[in-house]
Amino acid sequence: MKKNKASTILAIVTALSVLAGCGGNSAPAATGSSNGSPAQGENKSEPVTISIMANLHTPEVPSDMIEKLLEEKTGTKLDIQWVPDGTYDEKVNASFATGTLPQVTYLKNAASLVNMRDAIRNGQFWEIGPLLGQYPNLSKLKPEVLKNTAVDGKIYALYREVPLSRQGIIYRKDWADKLGLSAPTNVDEFYNMLKQFKEKDPDGNGKEDTIPLTDRNDLIYGAFKTISSWLGTPNNWGEKDGKLAPEFMFPEYMETMKFFKKLHQEGLINQDFPVTSKTDQQNLFITGKSGVYIGAMGDVSSLHPKVVEVNPDAELDVQNKIEGGPNGFGIWSVPGYGSVILFPKTAIKSEEELKDVLAFMDQLMSPELGNLIYWGVEGQHHKLEEGKVIPSEDTKLTDREVKPYQAMQVGGPLTIEGFYEPKHMLPVKAKSEEMITENNDYLIEDPSASLDSKTFNEKGVQLQEMIKDGTYQFMLGDIDEAGFQAVVDNWLKSGGQQIIDEFNVSYESSK
Amino acid sequence: MNKGAPKIPESGRMRRIIKNRAIYLMILPGFLYFLIFKYIPMSGLIIAFQDYQAYLGVTGSPWVGLKHFERLFTEPMFFTILGNTLLLFFLNLAFYFPVPIILALMLNEVRREVFKRFIQTLVYIPHFMSWVIIVSISFVMLSMDRGIINELLVMAGFEKINFLMSSEWFRPMYVMQIIWREAGWGTIIYLAAMAAIDPGLYEASRIDGASRFRQMWHITLPSIRSVIVVLLILKIGDVLELGFEHIYLLLNSMNRNVAEIFDTYVYTAGLKQGQFSFSTAVGFFKSLIGLILVMLANWLAKKAGEEGIY
Repeated sequence: MKKNKASTILAIVTALSVLAGCGGNSAPAATGSSNGSPAQGENKSEPVTISIMANLHTPEVPSDMIEKLLEEKTGTKLDIQWVPDGTYDEKVNASFATGTLPQVTYLKNAASLVNMRDAIRNGQFWEIGPLLGQYPNLSKLKPEVLKNTAVDGKIYALYREVPLSRQGIIYRKDWADKLGLSAPTNVDEFYNMLKQFKEKDPDGNGKEDTIPLTDRNDLIYGAFKTISSWLGTPNNWGEKDGKLAPEFMFPEYMETMKFFKKLHQEGLINQDFPVTSKTDQQNLFITGKSGVYIGAMGDVSSLHPKVVEVNPDAELDVQNKIEGGPNGFGIWSVPGYGSVILFPKTAIKSEEELKDVLAFMDQLMSPELGNLIYWGVEGQHHKLEEGKVIPSEDTKLTDREVKPYQAMQVGGPLTIEGFYEPKHMLPVKAKSEEMITENNDYLIEDPSASLDSKTFNEKGVQLQEMIKDGTYQFMLGDIDEAGFQAVVDNWLKSGGQQIIDEFNVSYESSK
Repeated sequence: MNKGAPKIPESGRMRRIIKNRAIYLMILPGFLYFLIFKYIPMSGLIIAFQDYQAYLGVTGSPWVGLKHFERLFTEPMFFTILGNTLLLFFLNLAFYFPVPIILALMLNEVRREVFKRFIQTLVYIPHFMSWVIIVSISFVMLSMDRGIINELLVMAGFEKINFLMSSEWFRPMYVMQIIWREAGWGTIIYLAAMAAIDPGLYEASRIDGASRFRQMWHITLPSIRSVIVVLLILKIGDVLELGFEHIYLLLNSMNRNVAEIFDTYVYTAGLKQGQFSFSTAVGFFKSLIGLILVMLANWLAKKAGEEGIY
């Protein structure tokens, strides 16, 4: 009930703000047609209105400056609905259930796409695969990534590109130097680093009060999945005797849990990590209570200034390639896309309309607009030096005016020719970017990314919760190996076995 | 059938309505409110008996009878959830419900008006804080790593206690947080009821030599008895409204076996995974339990000689 009320209010507020937003934009610039999109050839007296729902990663609603520029350059009228990241999936589900999805719907990630598969199969969204070739920019999207988003081999979605694997360690180099430690290259060295960070008083305050590793309540983007790939665990699903099985049925998964249990028992990780938020996790690192952070290596650019503010002598470094398993270094990867973009039939009535919308998306992917939504306006949000971008240091300004629009990106650096590369003023940031590229050579891919299972679509998420609970309970010592096995058995019994079977059928047919 | 029987002819009834139209007009907004916001949405319950698919709508989705209810009752978590929901409710009733009454009785004994207002303001404030804030504050205080409570425990020579991630501490924590937030606010109605008590009663009892405690016991409490009963029944009506937000914030992998209730379950199964029919069925079942409990409480109240709520 409460949710309903809240969304009604939200809808009213959005409606009002849309009205307010449209007021100032009376000149339907004709620039859109000059961009050469096929569907926008004829002169239209009325600008096309495009409604969009996008994920808002900043706490505040963005300024409409970029939106105005986009409207001007594409000759459209935009109606963007910003939904906060925390409730994005629910909002999509609720809008879908009430038939009020906008013309352009960004889905949060691969998992959200899986949730929509049934609806896609039932013809609720436009199939766009055959049309993509008509658009100069959209046709540059990578076929192998598009394949990963496909449903029954048909392409319904555009995608936003993300680096395949950003995972690695960020640590306090000054602490390591003081204790004579070099960057860890295998799991033992990593463990040793944590141990020394605890016992040898790295912050020099005379007390054993440091928490070496800081982690948060996230088994995927936190430390767990990254360490599990060091130890050789497959990414979500792996092949065992020629058949696919979920990662938690592999011995390496158990190894990872045991490793975490050890860290937890020895006080090498924050004791409350299963309930620690990302903000709290980062705060432990920023305030110098903790010295090791595992996650996206690119985070170093936002962590660095904050750490230095607390302790001017602090130095950060990044590291990847930690060896642990028999197969050498490995790191889990995403299937090549971050968010995907769907076009609901409830909002787009005809193929003509679809073409208008796709033409707009095509323009978004042009180098000019691609750079605009990602980097903002030159001279205002960034400077160009030797063709590379130096982002403005005024992060408050860019957070308000540019960062939100990055969520609307189509494609990315690999697919947009002329997409600006950043020039990193911070050496450690540059190093992290290099390492993210380096990770590409050691990817552990998810073999289930393009596979399909009816049962997984129906209750996969709920079943996964069981495993998540079990994993945490094991790491905290609430259950033992037999207990975890019981959780897995329960998973199998409650539908897991069906998921395995269905995935394997799908796997066989895709070979 | 004698003359003047309650049966009024059709035309007579109309005439009466027209005559009292002002009063009927006054009912209208309230009537519409309930119709539009309470009764019409109830038709949505239909989807509990369907395999609701958003693109087919209520009219097009296939009927499946009691399938979703069957699934609920055979769900391995079902009895845990039912048990948790009821247990948390009874804990709430047993430990929270009396607190505002006691607090109101104590406040009522404060004779200095300025002082009383001051304390009242003080105890009302927590009510205006959101659960997010209250839960965050307790997380900071109860954390294993740097939480002040655990630091104190260690200083006093005890072991650290894992408040946030253990099944044992979830319930006490839940009830304490409710008391902390709501007890002050809950006194308002009782204080109002106490203000309406005839001062003559107190005077008379004083003459008879009753102590302050006796006055409280024999005059104040019986005078607010009916208020207590009404509030109790209303409280039971909210049976299963245990505070979704509150519990959802406290819920984690380690305490799920005691903390998962219908509301959180509906949220995870319904909105997060888009199983609208199933979660509607769960919500429906929950409301049924609530309805039964309210009727039971009302019946008991009438047996006990009170008026009840209907």
